[in-house]
Amino acid sequence: MTAKRLLAWIFLGLIYLFILIPAAIVIVDSFSSATSFPSPFESATLHWYRALLDHEEFLDSIRVSALVAAIAASASVVLGFLAAYALVRRPVKGRDAVQTLLYGPLFVPQIVIGLATLQILSLAKLRISLVSLIIVHVVYLMPFTMRLVMTSLSRFDFSLEDAALSLGASYSRTLWHVTLPLVRTGLIAGFLFAFILSFVNLPLSLFLTNSRTATLPVVMFAYIESRIDPLVAAVASMIVVAAVAVTVVLERIFRLRLLG
Amino acid sequence: MVSSADSPETSPATVVETKWPTSALPAALFLSVFFLLPLAFVLLLSLSPNVLVHSHGLGFGNFEYLLSKPYYLSVLVRTVRIAAVTTVVGLLIGYPAAYSLKLLGERVSSGLIIGFTFPILAGPLVVVLGWMILLADGGPLLGPLHKWNLIRLPHLIGTETAVVIGLVHFTLPFVILSIYSSLRQIPDDLIEAARSLGAGTGNLLVRVIWPLSLPGVISASLIAFSLAASAYVTPYYLGGPGQITLTTLVGEFILGTYNSQMAAAASVLLLITMFAITFAFIKFTSRFVR
Repeated sequence: MTAKRLLAWIFLGLIYLFILIPAAIVIVDSFSSATSFPSPFESATLHWYRALLDHEEFLDSIRVSALVAAIAASASVVLGFLAAYALVRRPVKGRDAVQTLLYGPLFVPQIVIGLATLQILSLAKLRISLVSLIIVHVVYLMPFTMRLVMTSLSRFDFSLEDAALSLGASYSRTLWHVTLPLVRTGLIAGFLFAFILSFVNLPLSLFLTNSRTATLPVVMFAYIESRIDPLVAAVASMIVVAAVAVTVVLERIFRLRLLG
Repeated sequence: MVSSADSPETSPATVVETKWPTSALPAALFLSVFFLLPLAFVLLLSLSPNVLVHSHGLGFGNFEYLLSKPYYLSVLVRTVRIAAVTTVVGLLIGYPAAYSLKLLGERVSSGLIIGFTFPILAGPLVVVLGWMILLADGGPLLGPLHKWNLIRLPHLIGTETAVVIGLVHFTLPFVILSIYSSLRQIPDDLIEAARSLGAGTGNLLVRVIWPLSLPGVISASLIAFSLAASAYVTPYYLGGPGQITLTTLVGEFILGTYNSQMAAAASVLLLITMFAITFAFIKFTSRFVR
């Protein structure tokens, strides 16, 4: 190994340390016997994970977050697929304008999207609900799923569709038996990515939840305001585990680059 | 936040009439109703009178109010300063990191990149919780530093330094990936050619690699700046009430005093600031990129 490569390894090692250390300390401290932070690590315990199972508020919010994330991710995959299909397949006039609109939510801070949704709801005299929460998540997630599907569609050979159509298959048959199976990895990756992004999101939901529709990040947000203890570290550790699982699935199995 | 490589490769040859020319319609309609319309309403609200600014009809009173009070002006300046410092520090760390990935070659680096995406998926709340534990008074970092008298700063939490540390951490993966994607495209043959023609390491870096990686550096800067200026969780917890930024000010106006019009004005001010700086940066850098 040359000196240069060695230096590169060392530098990247330090970067990794920097990137992973906050999550690492959260996991370590979730096993701590301390009752609040900062305090030195004395002995290891599973107490906080057991306590979590009795914490109704956290458990309820996990259910809400999972429901919101599942519906929002599914909807954004469907909308994202249809939009990506049109953008890749049909180089029509005005495509750039449509594409700019569809990427729009990426350029606006999430807290502003949340505020805008809250205000339009109050203008329409509608109360905040699970539906409005899901809608605002779809707004934010769709550019990501669309981007991922576009990546897999750009490698898709559209002449396969033409072949199916000219051999007499209907549009729906072609879609179901030719197109969708070939872009499946993009759709699954899009769903997983969107699911986890929705599951951990705070700024979008902050103004749009009440006590019954509070998502996990919103409950964590309120909890951290009053104290930091190993209980909230245990909740965060479970999110870390979920994120690691999704990362591994996304990158290992589908070999898809997320941010290319 | 979208890199320049966004225009998809289209398949030009076969455009058969299919049922799908308008399949972008549902998404476009959805965003028009649930994104553009609410945003337009925020713009309208930002021009409307409220408890703090009394006026008749629409006007720029809210903006005048925000920009004339030293407190709010300092919020704006702080937002820009934090985002700019984050961008510069991010580039200073991110460029060598991306270059190291390039040195190690495609096979190794594609494996290493996996790890970089993980904090993005874990979300800012988890990561910030980690920083709050790490940077706390008497925590694992400040505790020993104070004990051995190595640092004068009494606290880190609640300072701009803590916010910048958190935001550099938050944006670094995007910065590294963006720079690496343009470094990756430099063919090894080109580097070999420069070397065989007598270029030393310094010359090679300054005159070959740096100019070719500039598009990546520019998009990394734009991504880092807009992510840092839009961040809510990091400044809220690591900065606290002493380091209010425009995003946390919006939160303050809603969760604190429920003044929709001022929250809207702060939002619009944030958007205008971000777009103006982005636009100026693109204009300024466009002359360096062929």
